[in-house]
Amino acid sequence: MIRFLEISNHTFFWYYLASNLAYLLMLITALKTSAMHQRRLESHRLNWFKEMPMTPPITLIVPAHNEEASIRVNIRNLLKLDYPELEIIVVNDGSRDRTLEELCEEFRLRRLRAVYVAETKSAPVRGLYRSDVHSNLMVIDKVAAGNKADAINAGLNAATSPYVCIVDADSVLERDALLRIMVPILEDPKRVVAVGGIVRVLNGSELVEGQLRRVRMPRKSIEAIQVIEYLRAFLIGREAWAQGNMLTIISGAFGVFRTDLVRAIGGYRASSIGEDMDLVARLHRHMRRRGADYQVRFVPDPMCWTEAPSDLRSLARQRARWQKGLLDVLWSNRDMLFRSRYGRIGCFAFPYLWLFELFAPIMETLGIATIVLAAALNILSREFFLQFLIFGYAFATVISIGSVLQEEITYKRYNDWKDVVRLVSYCFFEHFPYRQLHMVWCLQGLWQYLLGDHQWKTVKRKGLVSATAE
Amino acid sequence: MTSIFEKLWRLSPAALVFKAILVAIAADALLLAFIFLRRTYRRRFFAKRDARVFEFRLQWDALISGKIPYETWRRKTFDRRIVEALALDAFEAAGPEESARLLKFMRASGLIQKRIFEAQNLKGWRRMRALVALGRTRAPEGVHALAEALRDGHLEVRLAALRGLGRTACPQAAEEILAWVGEAGLQVPALPLQSALIQCCTERPQLLLPFVKRAEGTLREILGRVLGEVATPALGFELLQFVDDEHEELRAAAARAMAQADSSLALDALAELAQDRTWFVRLRAIIGLGQLADPRALPTLLTALTDSNRLVRIRAAEALVQFRAEMVPIFRQVVQLRDRYGLHAYLTAIENGDLRGKLEAQLQNNTKIMGEQKGVLLKVLQTGAMPLKDRLTTQDVLNPAGLRQ
Repeated sequence: MIRFLEISNHTFFWYYLASNLAYLLMLITALKTSAMHQRRLESHRLNWFKEMPMTPPITLIVPAHNEEASIRVNIRNLLKLDYPELEIIVVNDGSRDRTLEELCEEFRLRRLRAVYVAETKSAPVRGLYRSDVHSNLMVIDKVAAGNKADAINAGLNAATSPYVCIVDADSVLERDALLRIMVPILEDPKRVVAVGGIVRVLNGSELVEGQLRRVRMPRKSIEAIQVIEYLRAFLIGREAWAQGNMLTIISGAFGVFRTDLVRAIGGYRASSIGEDMDLVARLHRHMRRRGADYQVRFVPDPMCWTEAPSDLRSLARQRARWQKGLLDVLWSNRDMLFRSRYGRIGCFAFPYLWLFELFAPIMETLGIATIVLAAALNILSREFFLQFLIFGYAFATVISIGSVLQEEITYKRYNDWKDVVRLVSYCFFEHFPYRQLHMVWCLQGLWQYLLGDHQWKTVKRKGLVSATAE
Repeated sequence: MTSIFEKLWRLSPAALVFKAILVAIAADALLLAFIFLRRTYRRRFFAKRDARVFEFRLQWDALISGKIPYETWRRKTFDRRIVEALALDAFEAAGPEESARLLKFMRASGLIQKRIFEAQNLKGWRRMRALVALGRTRAPEGVHALAEALRDGHLEVRLAALRGLGRTACPQAAEEILAWVGEAGLQVPALPLQSALIQCCTERPQLLLPFVKRAEGTLREILGRVLGEVATPALGFELLQFVDDEHEELRAAAARAMAQADSSLALDALAELAQDRTWFVRLRAIIGLGQLADPRALPTLLTALTDSNRLVRIRAAEALVQFRAEMVPIFRQVVQLRDRYGLHAYLTAIENGDLRGKLEAQLQNNTKIMGEQKGVLLKVLQTGAMPLKDRLTTQDVLNPAGLRQ
């Protein structure tokens, strides 16, 4: 027993150290990359891109399920996006509310007949509509299949542009978001096959007519902590991974892909729980198998704002689903692991995800249990244990404050002093008990997946209209 | 075996963990201090800057007309940067007259000369910034400095120079770019190069011809693409030589360009390109035929409706619906093709053009189609489903004369 505890203590110590050092490395890489990105932006006048004759058209695919409260405002805003050639396809994914009627009334939709060829598999389409007032707006009304992937596939079948951008119906895009996310593609269209955009937490911010007027920190702690999490995940994690062309996830809320490639890999996998990560993993697989010289890039400019869960129950569901999705993708792509054919994705990114993302809740739980047990059995110095905990805490706050610093020196969207003070203070408070709760939710997700619960559970959100009223 | 914590403890915890704690806390403190100090500094800086911008805005006309002596603001870096930023922003929205006035001011105040000097003598990001500023002014005297920067070792600087040259949109800049790619090859990604060349060659597209003929490989394809974008009817005969080119991009460019040529010259060439083995060459040819809007292109467009590529089908259908006076015979031919994908593409184009009602009315009023066949066609139009084979005659398929019966 004692020997077991000692071995596990060794393991957890090195695991913890390696995980934190990896994050430190990512922070340093991200800081450097962001600085370069900022410099580069100085030579990219966005309006020049807009005027460029070769700027390729984009199809925006917007899956919508029971969005009657905010669909009018959202689509109106998407139509105002600053991009020269834009087609918008809203996929009404079997909404049981008045989503379709709202769209019909607002945009004077007329029904089209017999125009849909299902090249990518999706649930049956009930009808296609085109707006009389905005010729670039199309609506697909389809039977619900219980997942977003299916709705996106339906949109993909109707898309006519060389690039598709997937946007959540409840997200708020900044006016120049598409121009910004297209910058890597416009620079190197042959190599860049997909670009992920940053997603930021909308809660607490001021909206007017569905457009962001002022960025504020959310009032509730549970939302504020998610702001730090998003900053850390996007401004450090994804920025660093993308630097090494090892980005394995592009958020489902906002990302651009080459249409032909998404079609070539069969579109989104409807049975997948983490459909966004699954798509990127299959894209990597496809390109690596062909031996193609390609890039999956990330753009850190603030562009897409989304509503984060504001109650524990919804957050727990969301995080459990994310963990299930991670396991699902890693398991279905397990043949890529340590295979030189898949390059750095198979030899570096996937092993990291298995070890430090998928197993993290298990390792943390076991670590806490064995260390507490060892301390109780007097086989480790309690004084040293305490010191190690303090070090761990201080180190974790360095990473969190580092992500705030990233935000601060690059985009600085929280202008109010009070917001910055709150943002920084949550860097110290998120480690207890939120982190432990998060660990439990992730474990729940893994457990549900192993029990065969692969369902997509909805997360309760207030919606943009209520956010506006706040 | 002792615990890892014990081992570290024995190794002198004060030297390791305790120091690590101190380092982490110090890092926290430094990060926080940096954030707060930076915020304070920036708040003051922008307050001062805003006030100064407001002052300059109030006397803007006097400032750019030279009534306020340039020396009053030129010698102070802070003021000079503000004035330059205001002037460059004004360029973005200015019409020809205002641009000329601003350019005159930039020249007289020496701001352009300063940027040219910086673009020629600085390095790295500072050089890049100067190049961007020069590009924003669109001043012809900046072309030489921008062209020099095309030979810089850093890609970002080369891109900034290329974009700047593109902004000037003058043949002189095109000559510089073409000379550079001729001597150094492809040193930048294709898209920025294409865009810059398109902007600069619009006035004199013939500049491209000798370079396209001489270039090889990818560069030839890129130049061909540019040629396709900027070609004018005057280049018609010159473009015919690219119809049989070995590079698919060149053939596509020829197809794109032929759409601008005289239809008597272009029809045969485009019909040939519409049979090409490469889908995007066929696509460009079909788009070109659509642009010509010549009824002689109808058989080719109808054949393209059965193309294996979806985009080609869509464009062929869009081209076909342009012939509004002949909607009924075209629709009849489309149905007789018996290609479900082609029919769907055509109906999509009809729906997108909001022409379904019109076609339905024309069908109903048509006296040249027999009763049963009319019923079949109306049903196809209403349901989008292909009729049974024996309900249709197969005569006149792909017969342009039939279309005008």
